[in-house]
Amino acid sequence: MRRVLPPVVLVAFVVALGLVLFAPAPRQARPLGRVTLADATSQNQAASVAEGRTLFEQSCSSCHGSEAQGSALAPNLRGLGAATVDLWVSSGWMPLANPTAQPIKKPPVFDRQQTLAIADFVESLGGGPRVPSVNLRNANVSAGFSVFALNCAPCHTITGAGDALSNGISAPSLHDVTATQVAEAVRTGPANMPRFSPDQISNAQLADLIAYVTRGIQHPAAPGGLSLGGVGPVAEGFVGLFVGVGVCLLFALWIGDRSEREEAGAGTHEEGAHA
Amino acid sequence: MIDKLFAWFDDRLAISRGGRHLINKIFPDHWSFMIGEIALYSFVVLLATGVFLTLYFVPSAHDTIYHGVYRPLQGQKVSEAYASTIDLSFSVRGGLLMRQMHHWAANIFVGSIVVHMMRIFFTGAFRRPREVNWMVGATLLILAIFNGFLGYSLPDDLVSGTGIRIAFSILESVPFVGSYLAFFLFGGNYPGNGSIIPRFFILHVLILPLLILGLIGAHLGMLVRHKHTQFRGRGAREDNVVGTPLWPGFVAKTTGFLFLIAGATALLGALVQINPIWMYGQYRPYEVSYAVQPDWYMGWLDGALRVMPSWEIHLPGHMVPNAFFPGVFLPGLTFTLIYLWPMLEARFTGDTAEHHLLDRPRDRPLRTAFGASVFAFYFVLFGASSTDVLANYLSLTLNFVLWAFRVLVVVVPLVVFPVTYKICKELQATPGAGQRKRFNVVVRAAAGGYAVEPAPEYPGYAHDEPEPLPVEEIDLSAIEEEDRAPAGVYRIPRQYR
Amino acid sequence: MPEPPAGGARGDGGAPRPVVTLESPQFQVRARRPRRAEKVAASAFVVALAGFAAFGGAYWQGANNEWLGGTLGVGFVAFGVAFVVWGKYLMPRGPFEEPRPMMAVTPDEREALVADFASRGKVAIRRRTFLLKLMGLAAGVFGVVAAFPLLRSLGPLPRKSLYKTKWRKGSYLTTIDGRRVRTSDVAVGGILTVFPEDDVGGAISQTVLIHVQEGGDIVTRPGRETWGPDGFLAFSKVCTHAGCPVGLYEELTEQLLCPCHQSLFDVRAGCWPVFGPAPRPLPQLPLYVDSAGYLRAQAGYDEPVGPGFWERGGTT
Repeated sequence: MRRVLPPVVLVAFVVALGLVLFAPAPRQARPLGRVTLADATSQNQAASVAEGRTLFEQSCSSCHGSEAQGSALAPNLRGLGAATVDLWVSSGWMPLANPTAQPIKKPPVFDRQQTLAIADFVESLGGGPRVPSVNLRNANVSAGFSVFALNCAPCHTITGAGDALSNGISAPSLHDVTATQVAEAVRTGPANMPRFSPDQISNAQLADLIAYVTRGIQHPAAPGGLSLGGVGPVAEGFVGLFVGVGVCLLFALWIGDRSEREEAGAGTHEEGAHA
Repeated sequence: MIDKLFAWFDDRLAISRGGRHLINKIFPDHWSFMIGEIALYSFVVLLATGVFLTLYFVPSAHDTIYHGVYRPLQGQKVSEAYASTIDLSFSVRGGLLMRQMHHWAANIFVGSIVVHMMRIFFTGAFRRPREVNWMVGATLLILAIFNGFLGYSLPDDLVSGTGIRIAFSILESVPFVGSYLAFFLFGGNYPGNGSIIPRFFILHVLILPLLILGLIGAHLGMLVRHKHTQFRGRGAREDNVVGTPLWPGFVAKTTGFLFLIAGATALLGALVQINPIWMYGQYRPYEVSYAVQPDWYMGWLDGALRVMPSWEIHLPGHMVPNAFFPGVFLPGLTFTLIYLWPMLEARFTGDTAEHHLLDRPRDRPLRTAFGASVFAFYFVLFGASSTDVLANYLSLTLNFVLWAFRVLVVVVPLVVFPVTYKICKELQATPGAGQRKRFNVVVRAAAGGYAVEPAPEYPGYAHDEPEPLPVEEIDLSAIEEEDRAPAGVYRIPRQYR
Repeated sequence: MPEPPAGGARGDGGAPRPVVTLESPQFQVRARRPRRAEKVAASAFVVALAGFAAFGGAYWQGANNEWLGGTLGVGFVAFGVAFVVWGKYLMPRGPFEEPRPMMAVTPDEREALVADFASRGKVAIRRRTFLLKLMGLAAGVFGVVAAFPLLRSLGPLPRKSLYKTKWRKGSYLTTIDGRRVRTSDVAVGGILTVFPEDDVGGAISQTVLIHVQEGGDIVTRPGRETWGPDGFLAFSKVCTHAGCPVGLYEELTEQLLCPCHQSLFDVRAGCWPVFGPAPRPLPQLPLYVDSAGYLRAQAGYDEPVGPGFWERGGTT
C-alpha cells in the first residue's frame, strides 16, 4: 500500500502546523484566521473515491451497508459528508471493535490517505460538509479562549481534560486532537456533541478556537509545577492531605517520641538499668 | 549580659516573677501532640504569604482590559481582582510561589486541624476541664473552612465563581430569612452589585484572621491554664506533666518544626501547581466548566449536594428547597454534634470527673468506633464530590457512580463501626500491641552456637527512660569549678567532649 | 548521686528528691554520639545557608517558580532539621516533670466569690429592680436596631427580582455578542446561550436555545403548544438545584446535564429532571418566530428561575 500523502494535503498540513507554531501575536483584535469547508482533496478525486469504496466495503459496509444507507446496527451516512467521516475514522472511533461497543478513541486503523479516501467515497454518495482546511494565520488565541469557555468548557472542562456524560459516554479529552478534527467536530457535532453552525461560531471564531485548543489547551502554561491532570481542586486536595499533611506528620513522628513505655512490670521487654 | 537584659525588663515588666514558671513549662514529648503545631505553623505561613499577596491583589470586581504577559487573556475584559491575580502569577517575581505556598498552606492548615481534632477526640482530651477549649477548636475549624472558601474565591475565576453562585443558592435556601441574607450579602440578586469581592476580601484578610488569631490565643491560653494532657506511662499521673521544658528543648524542637513545615509548603509551592486560574479564565455567570469541585474541605458539602435525592418540602405558599438539606442542615447538624459532644459523652458515660491522662483509643472502643464511622461518612461524602471524574477515569456510568455513592454513604459507616470496635477489642486483648518492640539480635559466638541479645537502644526509645524529675529543681550549683559556665549557658559534659 | 541541698528539695515533708545536676541521667544529651549529631546539625545549617543564598540568587536572576521555591524550601527544611537535631539530640533528654494543680475550685473559694459578687450586687439593686428592667429594655432595643445597619444597609430587599427576569413579551433572543438570533443561526442539534436585549450577560436572565429538530412545533407539556416553534426550545440556564449554568447539551439523547452536580434534564419533556438532585424542571421560555425570522419571547418565564427559596410557592 502506498504511504505517500497526496501533495496538497501534505502542504496544507505543513502550512497549518507551521502557522500554529509560529503565528505572531495579534496586533489587533480582528482575527484573520479562517476555517473553510472548501475542498482540500480535489486533485485525485476519482481515484480517491474508488479507493474509498473498496475500503468501505471491507471495513464499514457490514454495519453501514454497502451504499452507506445504514442498517439496524449503524446509522445512514449519506449526507453526513466527508468531514464527519474523516473525524470518526481519524480519531479511531470507527471502526468499532464490535457492533455494540461504545465508540472510544483508539489508534486509527487507516492512514491519512485512506481515511480521506473513505471520506470522499461517502461524500460522493450524498454530499455534506467537506473536510475543512484550517488556516490559523493570525488567529486570535485570546478570542478563542472566550469562545472555548462559553461553548466547550461545559462538557470538555475548561482545561480540556474531558469528563463523563450520561449513559456511559464521555466528552473526550482535547489533548491529542488535531486542528482538523476540532473543526470537523465543531461543525458536524459527532454523537452527543452539539453542532455549531457558521452563523453561531463563524469560521474566523472557529480558527481562533482551534488556535486556543492547539496552544492553550494542548500546551498549557504550567509555571507552577506538576499540573495534576486538570480535573479540579479534588486532586489538589488529595495532594494537600496525603502529601502535605502527611509529610508534616512524618516530621512530627521524627521529632516526637513514639510509643509510650508500658506500666512498670507489665512489659514484655527487659528493663534497662535505671540511673 | 543576659542578666542585664532580664534586669532591664524586670524593672519595667517584672517578667522574672512568672518567667521562671514559663520557661520551665513542660510539654509532653509524644509526636501526636505536635499536630496542633502543624496547624499553628501553617497559619504562620498563611499570614506571612498572605501579607505579601495583599500588597498586589486588587479586591475589585470592576472591569479592566488585560494587557499582561499571558497571551490567551490578551485584550479580554476581566475583573481587576482576576487581572491582579494573573499579574501576581506571571509578572510579580516570586508572586506565583507566594500564591501557591499560600494555597497549599491553607490546605495543610485545615487538614491538620481535622487530624488534630481527631487526635483530641480519640484520646478523650475534650473531657473536663477542656470542654470549652474543644468548642473553641471547633469554632476555629469552622472559621478556617470559611476563610479558605473566601480566599480561593477572591481571584474571581470561573471555578471559584461557580462556587460563589452555589453559595448564594445555599444561603437563599434557608427558610424565612434565606433570600434576605443572600441579598444583603451580595447587594442584590445574583451576582449582586459587585460588592461580593471586596466584602470577601475584607472578611478574608481582616475579620476572620482577627477572629482566628483571637481564638488561637484563647485556645493556647487555656492550654497554659489547664496544662497539657498526657498519655499514661513514664511517671505520668493526673497531678503532674512529664516531658520537655519550654526552654531550651521545646523551643528548639518547635522552631525546627516551624521551619520544616514552612519548607514543606515551599517545596509544594515550587513543585506542584495549585489553582491555575489562568487556565480557568474570568468568571462569567453564564459560563461553567465541567469537572469542578470546591477545595477539599468543602468537598463533603459538594458531595452531599450531589448524592442528595431530589426532594423538596412544599408548604402552602412556601417551600424548603432541596439545597437546604445538604447545604445548611447537614453542616448545621454536624457542627452542633461536634460542639455538644463533650457534654453528650459525659451524659452518656456518666463520667464528669476531671481528666488529664489520655485514653488510648483502643480503651474506649465505643467512642473510637463512633468517631471512625462518622469520619468515614464525611470521607465518603468528600469522595462523592468527584463523581464525574471517577466515572470518566473508571469508565463507569454517571448513574452507577452516583448510586454507588448513595449506597456507600450509608453502608460504609455502618461497616466501619463494628470493624473498628472489633479492632479495638483485639488490640486491648493483645498486650504490647502497637508498641515498638525491643529487637533481639542473634549473635554467633566464635566457637559456634548462637545467643540472643537485646539490640542496643536508640535515642527516643521509651523503654529505658529515666524517671521524670522536677524541672523546678534544676540546680547547677553542684557542678565542678572547671565546668562552671556563665549563668544560663549549658555546656556539654566533659565526658562527651 | 550528689547530696541534696539542706532542707530538701520539696517542702512536703516527704523524702527529699535528688536535685537535677549536670550528672543526672535526665540532663544528658539524647544522642549516643553527640559529635556526630553536632556534625549533622552543622551540615544542616550549612545547607540552609546555601539554600537561602541560592534563593537570593535565584530571585535576583529572575528564575522560575521551581527554582525560587525549591531553594527556599531546601533552605527552610535544612534550617528546621538543624534545629530539631540540636533540640532533640543535643539537649537534656529529660524527662522532666512539673506539678499540675487540679482545676476544681473548692466550695469555700466559690462561696467567697459568689458571696462577694451576689451580695454586693444585691446591694446595688436592692429595691431598685425597676432600674434593671429599664436597662434590659434599653439594651434590648439597641440590640435589635444595631442589626439594622449591620444587615439592612448591605443590600436591597428581595422583592420582584426574585420572581422575574428581564424577559418580556417580544424580547429578542440576543447572543453574548449582542446579535439578535434568527432561526437560521443555530444548526439542528445546536445549543446557544441567549439573553434579552436589555440584559445581555445577565446572570438571572440567561437562557439556552436548543434547535432540537428540523422544523415543526414541539409541545413539551400541555398548555405549551406554541412555545416551541420551528423545532426550537428555550429554557432557563439557571439550574433549579443550586444555580449553576446548565450548559452541557447532549444532542443525541436530547438531555441537558448540569456540570456541577450532574442533574439531568429531559429537553423534550420540558427539561424534566430525570436524574440527579435537581428537584424541579428548568422553566421554559415561550418562543415565537417573527416575520423577519428572529426568535423572540412570547412573554417572560411563568415561574421564578433557578433554585428554590422560602417565599417561592407553587409546585411545578
